[in-house]
Formats: sequence, structure tokens, C-alpha cells
Amino acid sequence: MQRIFLHSIWVRIWHWVNLAAFIILIITGAQIKMGDKLNLFSFETAVNIHSWLGFILIGNYFIWVVYYLVTGNIKIYIPPLHKPIEFAKKALIQAKFYGYGIMVGDDNPHHPTFYNKFNPMQQVSYLMIMVALIPLQLITGLFLWDPNLFGPAVNLIGGIQVVDLIHVFLWIFFSAFMIVHFYLATLGHTPMAHIIAMFKGYEEIHEENGHGHDEGHGHDEGHGDTHPKEHSH
Amino acid sequence: MDNKKIISIFLLLAFMIFPVYVSAAKGVTEKGGDSKVTQMCLACHSDKALSKKLMNKEILPLYIESNEFAKSVHGKVGCSGCHPNITLDNHPQVKKIKSKSEYSASVSRACSVCHTAEQLRKRQPIHTSLAAKGTCVECHGSHFIKGMAAAKAGVKENQYCLTCHRNRISMAMKNGESLSVYVDELMIKNSAHGKLQCIDCHKNFSKTAHPIRSFNSRREYSIVNSELCWKCHAEPFKKYEVSSHLEQLKKGNTKAPTCTDCHGDHAMAGTKNNKNIGLTSCNACHADMNSSFEASVHGKARKKGDEKAPVCSSCHNAHDITSTAMTTKIKDGCLKCHKDAGKLHSKWLWNPPISLPTFAAAHFDVVSCATCHSTGAKPAFILSISDRKTGKPISEEELLKILDTDADRLMAKIDTNGNSIIDAKEVWDLFAVLFQKGKSTVFMGKMDVRSAKEAHMIGGKADAVRNCEKCHHPEAELFKDEFIAISKSDGTVRFLKAHKDVLNSIYTILPARKFYALGSTSVELFDILFVLALIGGICVPIGHITFRIITSPLRSLRRMGKGGKK
Repeated sequence: MQRIFLHSIWVRIWHWVNLAAFIILIITGAQIKMGDKLNLFSFETAVNIHSWLGFILIGNYFIWVVYYLVTGNIKIYIPPLHKPIEFAKKALIQAKFYGYGIMVGDDNPHHPTFYNKFNPMQQVSYLMIMVALIPLQLITGLFLWDPNLFGPAVNLIGGIQVVDLIHVFLWIFFSAFMIVHFYLATLGHTPMAHIIAMFKGYEEIHEENGHGHDEGHGHDEGHGDTHPKEHSH
Repeated sequence: MDNKKIISIFLLLAFMIFPVYVSAAKGVTEKGGDSKVTQMCLACHSDKALSKKLMNKEILPLYIESNEFAKSVHGKVGCSGCHPNITLDNHPQVKKIKSKSEYSASVSRACSVCHTAEQLRKRQPIHTSLAAKGTCVECHGSHFIKGMAAAKAGVKENQYCLTCHRNRISMAMKNGESLSVYVDELMIKNSAHGKLQCIDCHKNFSKTAHPIRSFNSRREYSIVNSELCWKCHAEPFKKYEVSSHLEQLKKGNTKAPTCTDCHGDHAMAGTKNNKNIGLTSCNACHADMNSSFEASVHGKARKKGDEKAPVCSSCHNAHDITSTAMTTKIKDGCLKCHKDAGKLHSKWLWNPPISLPTFAAAHFDVVSCATCHSTGAKPAFILSISDRKTGKPISEEELLKILDTDADRLMAKIDTNGNSIIDAKEVWDLFAVLFQKGKSTVFMGKMDVRSAKEAHMIGGKADAVRNCEKCHHPEAELFKDEFIAISKSDGTVRFLKAHKDVLNSIYTILPARKFYALGSTSVELFDILFVLALIGGICVPIGHITFRIITSPLRSLRRMGKGGKK
């Protein structure tokens, strides 16, 4: 059995704070918006929690930005656009795995490493989420938090209703995404493998599963499947 | 003395006195100053107590100071000159006189015998209108006239004017109205203009000029003469120029006030002395607001003697009064006194983690103070159609022109499904039609009371609304009544009933893009989408797991092929 270091402590903190904040924000958002259908909190409580967590999420996003920019590891999110055909092929292979291969017992074509964490599908979707959707959700949330303070920007977007429209559409998207994300996280070699890795930082790989670093398909072969600095024991 | 002697002496005296009596009686009917006749009149009229009770119970003094009369210009004319109809045979003892004014008019007619209208007009044109009314004695007096040249010689400007205007003279309007041009000297001395000369205001008039002017009505006189004030009071006039009062006046509403309607004319009270002018003058027209004002926390404080408690002008301004309906301007009126309102509201009206004044201000922008602070009022949500570029509300007149309809058919034009209520789709249709016709609009939202009366019912702080869910809830109380407000040129607002869910539709996102109330303007369709997204999100793993379960034998077989299940 081999342990591969996948997630640094900063990424793990960021991830779990993000998860907790997202879930509570989705629920309090639903309470604020659907006060006639839900009765989990009072409007004021829901708004208070939502606002606090909104700012925590903004701070958390900066942890992510600073960590990935400082370490230069942001490239794990960037698809190899200089090899579009190869990338598309790999994405198709990955999609085929989730749709068919996983059913018939194929191995996951992607073997994550610290420097090649995401499969092509994850890469595209997480890039979109981290670079576009989450910032958009945070910015629109900030505008709704104090529409007067951000009045000129709100008007530039087209008015407060348009800002709300974007925020609500993203709320709907992230609600569905969270469920699918959680399910996909259970598709490791064991249902808890990815989840435990997000706590411990390491993912345990059984050699017979063929997930050794010598079979890695990432861009950064040579770095291996262990911790870039501290090897597993 | 025997009887014969007494009869003889009586007859002798009678024969001696008779010629004198005949001569005197004859003299009264003669023209010219027969001093003997005059003396005879004065025999009685020099009695200071002599007076006559008129039919209207006025007392007409009949005493004549003989020396003063003798010095007057008519001293030589004598009594009979002006009172030709009074003879010993026909003395007013038997004449019935209704009132002093009737008497003045009747005796003034005697003046025209000598002073012809033509002669008077040449001398002073204003006589033309005054003489026709026969009120000579009101200006010139009666028995002690010394001639105008002598009367006015050395007289100061004001006194010169008052020579006539201290009398109860009036001016005839073309419509038959009569305007009093009497000036109470004492009143003007006590007024804010007490130290001014008449000609300071009435610039076209002087000792040598008294133009004849004619006006259709008293109202026209007031409106035209308001320009007298502007010359000195340029600053207030500048403000008045942008007021809804002048706007109304320009539109032909002659009831709209000018300077004198609020400030009075010659009794002009200075605002420093009259602290109630901002209330009493408004009540002359807006009396229907007074009861709600008096019941308000402001009215009660004023009643208790708090001079700082606001009156109408404190909030609405004195001169630059603009329509408060459908604007946020009145908020500035409140904030003039309640300068710390923003701070006080920010104590509870804020969003964590930091309290910023802009958050309370965002509420102030779309919620009128009266919405939360008017006790017993029933606020509503109001959408007003504004020009996107200027931000100004589109008036009913403009809207009617664009939609090519009239006021009576406006509702039917907008309410295309004829259910007497404007729904979201109809708001969109109206927005689209206006856009197609070149008018880009924004439907500005606002929480407000619907009547001016309600706006004045300001209660105490303890009674104010402080519950977020009154607005921020899908079933919010304050969103139960919704209207589309259309400003009319007369400053009033026309309310068209809108559906209570008018803002809970995708149709109104674009038209009402600048209004948003967390929790209450949300689109229900998106709630459905949210639930569908959750269901979809759950269906993905369920479907995938189902396929994985179904295909698990395949995987088992494959593993067995590789060496059996480990």
C-alpha cells in the first residue's frame, strides 16, 4: 500500500471551511428567500448567519488564491490548452469511465498526484468554479449585502434585480453541485478514500489497484505520487 | 301789564323777526356763500352732540367746526353749495339714510356739479375709476377740505399715498369683484415692512404718477403683484421658481399660492415674529392635513409649547416646495431635524459583520419615513414609471401621449386582460411598448403611505415599525397592497392597483431592476428551480448507484477472470 500526498494543510482547511460555509449559506439562503415555505430560523437570524458566513467565505477564497498563487500550484487547475486534442481525448476517456468503465470494473484512467490532482473533467469544472462562479457568487453576495455601498457597480451590472438573479442562479447551481460533488467524492477506491484524504492529506493506494506513481498520467510525471517534500512511510 | 299790551309787544316782535326769517330761508336755497344761511345752519350744527342714527344703526356725526369750515376751500361756498337739497322745508330729519357709505356716495355726487369728471381725469387719471364710485369725500374729506396741493404740500411719500388710501376705498375688477385698497397705517407700521415707503414696493407709483390698471379679478391682481416682492426677495423667489406652487400657477391653477397668500400684503408678518406662518398659511389651503398633523408627535409637541417642533415648512420647505408624492425628497425634510437618524437606525438596521451607514441609507432610499413611523397608516408598495435617463417620473400626460389614449382609458390600456388589476406580464408589456416608442424606463419601487394625511400621522419612536419581516418575507404585510403610481401635472398621484405578486415574476426583473427587497421580491419560479436542482442533484447519484448495482455482476465476473474475488 502506498500513501500519496494530495492535499496540503491549507487546501484541507480551505476545503472544509468552504464545505461548511456552502452548506449553511445554501440553507440560510433558502430560508431568506423562501420564508413562507421554510421555518428553520427567523429572517434576521438567517440574514445574520448568511452575512457572517459570506465574509468568512470571502476570506477563505483568499486563502485559496494566496496559497495557489504563492506555491505556483495554480497550474493544476489550468487545462493544457496547448494540447487541446489530447486534453479532449482524456476528458472523453474520463467521461467514459464515469458513464461506463466504472460499471464494468475499469480502473480510473486518472491517477491523482499532488501536482496532477484533477482529471480533465474536474480541471475544467473546478477552474470554472474557482475562477468564475465562486467569485461571481461572492461579489453578487457582497453587492446584495450593501447595495448602496456598491451602488455604481450594481448599476453597471444592470440593477440590483440582475445582481440578485445571478446570485440566485448560482445558489441553485451550487446546491445541485454540492450533492454531485459529494457523490463523486465517494468514487475512490473505497467510498471514504477521497474524503479521508481531504482530512489527512494522504490517500492510501493499494498497489494491486495499479495506482502506483510509475503509472501516473499527469503532466508532472517525475514528481511521483508521494508528498513533494515529505515522502510517505 | 295788561293783556292788550302783551299782544301788542308780541306782534311788534313778530313783524320784526319775520323778514329776517324769510330772508334766511330764501338764502338756503340759493347758490353761493350766503354766510347768513351758513350761520343759520351752524346755529344747530355747531352743537358737538348733534348726530343722526342711520338705518343700519351707524351714528353719523353732524357737528361742524365752524372755524375750520370757514378756512376750508369750500368755506366761501357755504352749506347750500354742496347740500342744495337741504332746505328748511326739506331737512334730512325726514330723510332716511341707510348707512354712512350710502350717505358719502350721495353727498359725493354733489361734488361733480362743480368738479366735472373730465376736469378730474385731466388732473389725476385715477379719478376716473374712483369718481365713478362717487367716493370723493373718502379721500378728500368733507367740510374741512383744504385743497390737495395744500394737503399734500410737504407731506412725505407714505402720507401722500395714505391721503387717499387711509380711506376705505376700493378698486373694481372686470368680473365685478371689488378689491379694497384701504391701507391700515398702524398695521403697516407694525408689519415687517414698517420702515419701508409705499413706493419701495409699488414702484410705478409716486406723488406724480398713479397709473390706472385694470384686472380681471382679485386673484389676477394678487398674482400680477407678486412681482413686487421678487425685486427685494430674490433668494426666496429663486426657490419659489422651482416650487410646485409656481408650477401649478403656470399650468393655470390660479388657486396656487403667490407671496401674499402666505405672507399677507400690508400686514406682512416677518417670519421672525410669526413662528406659525409655516403652519397657518399652509392650512389656508391644506386644512385637511391639520387634524393628522395635530395628532402627530410633532403637533402634540407644538401644542405643548415646543417652538422647535416642526410646522409644515420645516419639512416641506417654505418656498421651494415640491411634490412629495413618489419622491424621496421629503426624507430630507425629516433629516433636517433628525440629523442622527442614519446613526440611530444603523444601531439595529445593519448587516453583520460591520455596520455601515450605507445600509440604513439603502432603506431610506426606498422606504419613506412615514412608512414605519406613521401610526395607524397603511403603507403600500408603489412602483412609479421613471425615465431611465433623467430618473424623473413620467407624468400621466406624457404617458397618455405615448400610449395614445386618455386618462379614462389608461387603466384599460395597461390592464389588457381586463381583470382590473395590473399583473407582472402587463407591467412587462407596458415597459416593452414604452421602449418600442422610444421611451426607456425604469419602474422605481418605494414603500410609502398612500395619502398625504397618512404621511403626517407621525407617532412616537416606540410605535415605529422595527420588524424586518414586515417587508422582508414572501408574505410581507407591507407588500400586500401594490400600486403603480402615475404623477399628474397638478402634483397629485394616480394609483393603479397592481397584483400583490407583481414583483415576484421574471416579467418584472428588467422593468423593476433597481428595486429589490430581500425575501419579498423573489421569483417563485426560482424556488421551483432550486427544488428541481436538488432533486436533479440527488437523482445523479441515485441513477449512477443504480447502474453500478445492476452492473455489479459484470465487475465480479471481471475480477474473477483476474483471479477471483480477493
